[in-house]
Amino acid sequence: MPFPTRTSRRRALTGALLALGLTMATGACSSDGDSAGTPGTIKIGLLASLSGTYEAVGTELRDGFELYLRMHDGKLGGHKVELVVADEGNGAPTAVPAATKLIKQDRVHALTGVVGGGSVAAVYPLLAEAKVPFVGSNGRPELKDVSRIWHTSYLSEEPGAAIAQYVRDNVRGEVYAIGPDYQGGWDELRGFTDAFAKIGGKLANPDGRTLWTPFPATTNFTPYFAKIKASGAAAVYTFYAGTAAVDFVKQYAQSDIKDLPLYAAGFLTEGGVLNAQGEAARNIYSVLNYSPDLDNAKNRSFVAAWKEDHDGSPTTYAMASYDAAAVLDKAIGGAGENPTPEEINSAIDGLGQIDSPRGTWQFSETTHSPVQKWYLRQVRQDGRALSNTVVGDLATVGG
Amino acid sequence: MIIQAARWAGPLDAYLIPALDGIAYGLLLFVAASGLVFCFGVANILNLAHGTLYAIGAYTAAAVADGGWATLLLALGVGVVAAAGAGGLLAGLLAPVARRDHLTQALLTFGVALAGGSLLVTAFGPDNLPIKIPAALDGSVAVAGHRYATYRLVFIGVAAVIALLLYLAVTRTRAGMLVRAAVDDADMVACLGVSPARIRLGVLAAAGALAGAAGVLGAPIIGPGPGAADTVLLLSLVVVVLGGLGSVLGTLLAALAVGEIQTLGVALAPTAAPFLLFAAMAAVLAVRARGLPGRLRTGLRLRLRSTA
Repeated sequence: MPFPTRTSRRRALTGALLALGLTMATGACSSDGDSAGTPGTIKIGLLASLSGTYEAVGTELRDGFELYLRMHDGKLGGHKVELVVADEGNGAPTAVPAATKLIKQDRVHALTGVVGGGSVAAVYPLLAEAKVPFVGSNGRPELKDVSRIWHTSYLSEEPGAAIAQYVRDNVRGEVYAIGPDYQGGWDELRGFTDAFAKIGGKLANPDGRTLWTPFPATTNFTPYFAKIKASGAAAVYTFYAGTAAVDFVKQYAQSDIKDLPLYAAGFLTEGGVLNAQGEAARNIYSVLNYSPDLDNAKNRSFVAAWKEDHDGSPTTYAMASYDAAAVLDKAIGGAGENPTPEEINSAIDGLGQIDSPRGTWQFSETTHSPVQKWYLRQVRQDGRALSNTVVGDLATVGG
Repeated sequence: MIIQAARWAGPLDAYLIPALDGIAYGLLLFVAASGLVFCFGVANILNLAHGTLYAIGAYTAAAVADGGWATLLLALGVGVVAAAGAGGLLAGLLAPVARRDHLTQALLTFGVALAGGSLLVTAFGPDNLPIKIPAALDGSVAVAGHRYATYRLVFIGVAAVIALLLYLAVTRTRAGMLVRAAVDDADMVACLGVSPARIRLGVLAAAGALAGAAGVLGAPIIGPGPGAADTVLLLSLVVVVLGGLGSVLGTLLAALAVGEIQTLGVALAPTAAPFLLFAAMAAVLAVRARGLPGRLRTGLRLRLRSTA
């Protein structure tokens, strides 16, 4: 047809436009990551204490992860995500059956959350057997093989190690070390005392060893304060969390040693406990990998989104779980079209730097926990409420 | 220099505040545990939901008190009534199993404690709640050259008054007489025309009121939170074991002993702190050889003999 008519030309144009439209549509489709036409759903299991002693931390873990999903259209790495939440309860006895259900019955691609270090240790054999990667957002026990274990939180020794130099430089005299008598307490306090001794710091404790208080039985710290007073210490370093943190701080503020500067791992004044401590917590120094007032774009959007449906600011627990979702997002996105748990795990291995509300961090090659910056915070007035305010950067620790 | 001065003031100086605090802590345990003693001694009910009654009082203090004197009194009133009501409810639940053994009652009340604990957490959240007390009490005062919490010092006085009132109520009033009679011989009291169901209701409500009062007043010491009920129940049970049943004075001495073990004992021997309390309990049980039920039986036999 050498002389195309007007009508046929219009028809050709329409056809071309249609074709172009179709290609664009297909293009959009393939960029969604599934050329087979059915975008594969990824199942993620979240195990956290939604009842019992650690309910406050457990709900922060759940809410942090869900917040990331909501801010990213319910997708991780381009795949629609089905989040299966299970209750860890008070520890290993309830965590194991819940994790078994997630791994064997729901067949999740990856597991996240878990408040207690003991729960992680108990769930660990299940993960190894099913070859499912675990991106933990809180408790981290001593583990032999971490090839499928990742943590977005920290190691228990790190807060104390990060603040030791600051305490050494700013306290004139000896420091009294006191902490709860269980694995978490031992690790937290050892992190401080080891680093402190290495740089020439001296403990005020009579035998040079940390004073341990029975956990969780101790509700009254007055007798210990009398001991600290008698030692002539110039400052106190401690770690407590939950109810014990409330009791310790409230009684400290009304004791003989109320004027001694108190330095602590950040959990002493983190989250709901700060509200319960009230005025008693004012001026306490603590070290943590996060504070809601950190000045970076990621953190501003994270805190703003969090405050849309929560009364207070997010805690380090919520932030770590939000980051666990970010890690899975990047890893799943880079693990191919229909990733298996194994492929997701190898993708996590090659992630590199992660942009987070706490600042950028990356997984340590050896421990698979973050190499991250630690911040010095002080409890100060922030509007009507007291809040942990960042007053400086401490060491970058990890690995 | 100051350290030197403290050392020369005598070896006892460092233990003054723990000893004083032991009294405050002991009196709190007394008010909390006396209800449990009544339940067990009079109504013969092993009430494992007793800690939950304390928690009701403590949560009431967190919800009602706003730092003024009026609201503190209001919290006390509301807390006592609410916990007494919960105690009455418990009596109703226990009525069908009144004639069953302690194990049945323990299971039932334990179930109530678990459910009640969950309800409280659902209503108030999983966090430990702050308690706002009047500014005049919210600080510390100088006691013989040391700082001590004002609230605890005042609490010692208030709790001592409660203990005295309780003692007078049990020894001097008609209700107290019934209570003592029911401990000695429940069947005889029933024969005299007093309904055991009514005694059970009265005792559980009174026990609830005491636990509620302890909860409101003790909230700044053992505060409302998911673990409060368990802590109070455990320590109250220790007081019951140490102090025996049916005597206000025995309960008071046992509670003060537990308080001092938890403070002075810990100050004297910090390394033994985890075992001190239960070591003391084991020692008392060993000395009594047959433990609590044995002592009860002996006590009854002695009383019968003396009346014969």
